Amino acid sequence: SSGSQRRASILSGIYANKAASSRSLSTTSDGKAVDRASLVFDDEGKDVTPHPLFRSDPNTVVPRQGKLLASSAYFGATGSGFLSSFSTHQTSGVNGSLGSLSRTYGSSSTSLSNASTTESILDEIQKRPCLLTSYNFSDVQVRQEEIREWTKEDLDRRVDIYLTETETIWILDMPSVVVSVESEDAGRVLERNRIYVDICKNRPGNDRYVEKMMQTINGAAKNKEVQCDKIIMEDKGLLVTSWDLYDSFNVSEIEPTSKAEGSRATTGKSSTTSSLMISESAVLARIHEEEECHSEAILTSENFQQNLFFMERILMENIFQPKLAAYRQFPVLIGLFLIGCPVYSLQIVKTKQEEHDKEKKDKEEQKDAFVDPSILSDLNKTPEEIVPPRLERLWSYICDLTNGHNVSSMAWSKVNPDLLAVGYGAFDCKEQKKGLACCWSLKNPMWPERIFRCEHGVTALDFSMASPNLLAVGMYDGSVTIYNVRSCNDAALLDSSESSNKHTGPIWQMRWVEQDRGATGDGKKERLICISADGRITEWFIQKRLDCIDLMKIKRTESDKRKLPGEKERKREALISQQAAGMCFDFHPKDTNFYLAGTEEGHIHKCSCSCNEQFLETYRGHKGPVYKVAWNPFSSDMFLSCSADWSIILWHQDSQTPILTFSSATAFVHDVMWSPKSAYIFAAVNESRVEIWDLSASILNPVTSCFANPRVKFTSVLFAKNTDCLLVGDSKGEVSVFELQNLAAPNNNKVRFTRTRWWSSEACMLVWYFIPPKGASVKDLANRY
Amino acid sequence: MAEVEETLKRIQAHRGVVATMVVNAEGIPIRTTLDNSTTVQYAGLLHQLTMKARSTVRDIDPQNELTFLRIRSKKHEIMVAPESKSILAPNRCKKISFFFPKN
Repeated sequence: SSGSQRRASILSGIYANKAASSRSLSTTSDGKAVDRASLVFDDEGKDVTPHPLFRSDPNTVVPRQGKLLASSAYFGATGSGFLSSFSTHQTSGVNGSLGSLSRTYGSSSTSLSNASTTESILDEIQKRPCLLTSYNFSDVQVRQEEIREWTKEDLDRRVDIYLTETETIWILDMPSVVVSVESEDAGRVLERNRIYVDICKNRPGNDRYVEKMMQTINGAAKNKEVQCDKIIMEDKGLLVTSWDLYDSFNVSEIEPTSKAEGSRATTGKSSTTSSLMISESAVLARIHEEEECHSEAILTSENFQQNLFFMERILMENIFQPKLAAYRQFPVLIGLFLIGCPVYSLQIVKTKQEEHDKEKKDKEEQKDAFVDPSILSDLNKTPEEIVPPRLERLWSYICDLTNGHNVSSMAWSKVNPDLLAVGYGAFDCKEQKKGLACCWSLKNPMWPERIFRCEHGVTALDFSMASPNLLAVGMYDGSVTIYNVRSCNDAALLDSSESSNKHTGPIWQMRWVEQDRGATGDGKKERLICISADGRITEWFIQKRLDCIDLMKIKRTESDKRKLPGEKERKREALISQQAAGMCFDFHPKDTNFYLAGTEEGHIHKCSCSCNEQFLETYRGHKGPVYKVAWNPFSSDMFLSCSADWSIILWHQDSQTPILTFSSATAFVHDVMWSPKSAYIFAAVNESRVEIWDLSASILNPVTSCFANPRVKFTSVLFAKNTDCLLVGDSKGEVSVFELQNLAAPNNNKVRFTRTRWWSSEACMLVWYFIPPKGASVKDLANRY
Repeated sequence: MAEVEETLKRIQAHRGVVATMVVNAEGIPIRTTLDNSTTVQYAGLLHQLTMKARSTVRDIDPQNELTFLRIRSKKHEIMVAPESKSILAPNRCKKISFFFPKN
């Protein structure tokens, strides 16, 4: 480094002359070459170069004093300090080797060494011997070594360092002016003090002392002014919170703005809360990217959409909370309604008269809501008392969009039991208009989650099981469309419009059916089966399964199950040229190889997937088109069918004649469905009302029913799987949700044995009828007869 | 954009909803169905409260954040949907709606 160079040069400067002299000495003693330039000659040419006064033995061992003195920092002291150190530690002379060293540095002698200083140093050098030379030597030696290139061996070489204690170096010596009275010098010091006092006493008036004054010249003072720009001061305060620290650690892409010293805002501050808030918001604005908040940008941001979505849902929850609680079958607590402030966490109480009175009384007391155990006990049904079952209307899925459309079909999602798909389309060909398929969620009963607009009226739809986001929709013109409900896009995923073999009549029912493919060895495979008015039951294949997300036309190669319902009849009766229209079908719950199909002429055929030429059986009983057939989910030999001849018929699959017929109204029975919870309960909807039948209670009358509004006809019914609720769709586009209350539990311990005599319209049968204990099924009922 | 407008209209058109306001990150109302002075008052007050609520939630656990704020009073209920940082949106906004339940 240049610093060390300079220091070396200081040394060399001081020693240059010494070196010269040493060189001359060495010339004389060793016979070395002499550097002529450094010799001093006087006027007469005599060699008057000063000789060094001390010549140390070059062979003396120079103890390396170690790092303490070799450190350049020590020698880096000020020049004057350095020189004064010389005065205290005189060198013992110059080695010959030092001379050779300083020759290399000789050229860099500085002006620091003036002659007088050197002389004085040289004079004082002889006074006391010290080892400074050796120090310097070692220092210079070290530095020379530093300049040399380090080789790897040098680095790895073992270096011996000897540490010894040096002599004490006095840097500052301030001798004390106080001496103890008891010390040895005390007498002498006292004596000297006394002498001094005498001198001072003799001084005034003494000729030996003259007072003299001196005047120092003061330099002229000059005033200078400097002006600088105003130094802008800014106060910043910050309330440091733990999230603030967390943010600044984690969010690295935001430029690290210099946060003000985190001063906790004390409450004693005179600044008001508003200023604190301003600083807070300023801080917040500073932390995150400061962009101009255009209102347009805000309104179109995805964040805002999400917020709106949540807001709407929460509003819905507010409004519908009691109904939703009833849907979810939360236990009922008595709630007290303070005026104007409903307590949302409690459910609306059933409107019984005594509870109502009690409520009014408590309202006056202005008490907060609590559970009154006495009231609760009233509600608890005593075993003797049986409350009649009833349907209570909770809410309806309806909106402006669906108003006026006829509800033709409803289906639950297979994975999300709160997601409902409703198809809107007219049954008549006269009333056809553009159809609609909507997906409703429980969380928002006022607007559907997905709206799919279709060209034609939707007559059937179903969710897939294998890929639960697929919704298959069948329409009045016979086309099948598959939608992906995950996307909000209205566009269809797959379409049947290109296929050559599609239906020519309305698709009345459509179902995704899981079937065991025993032959091919695959596991359960799902097929889409449709039945339509052109008399065919078809199975649809999707060539590119599930990976087509873009609009892809379905390449349909279906294996037609040619169903010619008129065939059998043809043999017996006159030739029927057309195929009979199929209206409905249902696959057996246990064995998906065979299924039932209902036709327009009133026959129900049992068919098998493996045989597509003939029917296994035909059930004749209805006189009008069969709108729905349904296998009993618990007792798999029984099935129900409903028809336009105002009746519902219960069949056993082994018997070609009906077991039971239910007729309660003079209206088309549009839909019937077994309850998923009980083997005895089913719901039927005819145009003017919805009926719940409980076979364990009565076979002549429905246990409860609910009338529709006068101008409205009920068209479809669906049980909810996870709760005791019933959905009923009507011709005005409204899907009402009813709660089934107090329906008798299917497994009753009571055994009632009733024998009734019932004459069916087709045959005489005596029906024994009882409520069995758990485990028995409706099959036993029929098996007896 | 149309979707947003529709949803906003549906919410506003609700029977029980008195007013809706959209407020930006600084507390300046962008869209409102109330008169000016009331809007400004509500916006200012609720902005402060939301900031405080968010600060509280995050102080307790910095990885948590405020998703929704509802204030139910005797007469009505105020619902505030604050912006959340997890959703990448450079312009943040808040949505405030007032809901007076009729029953």
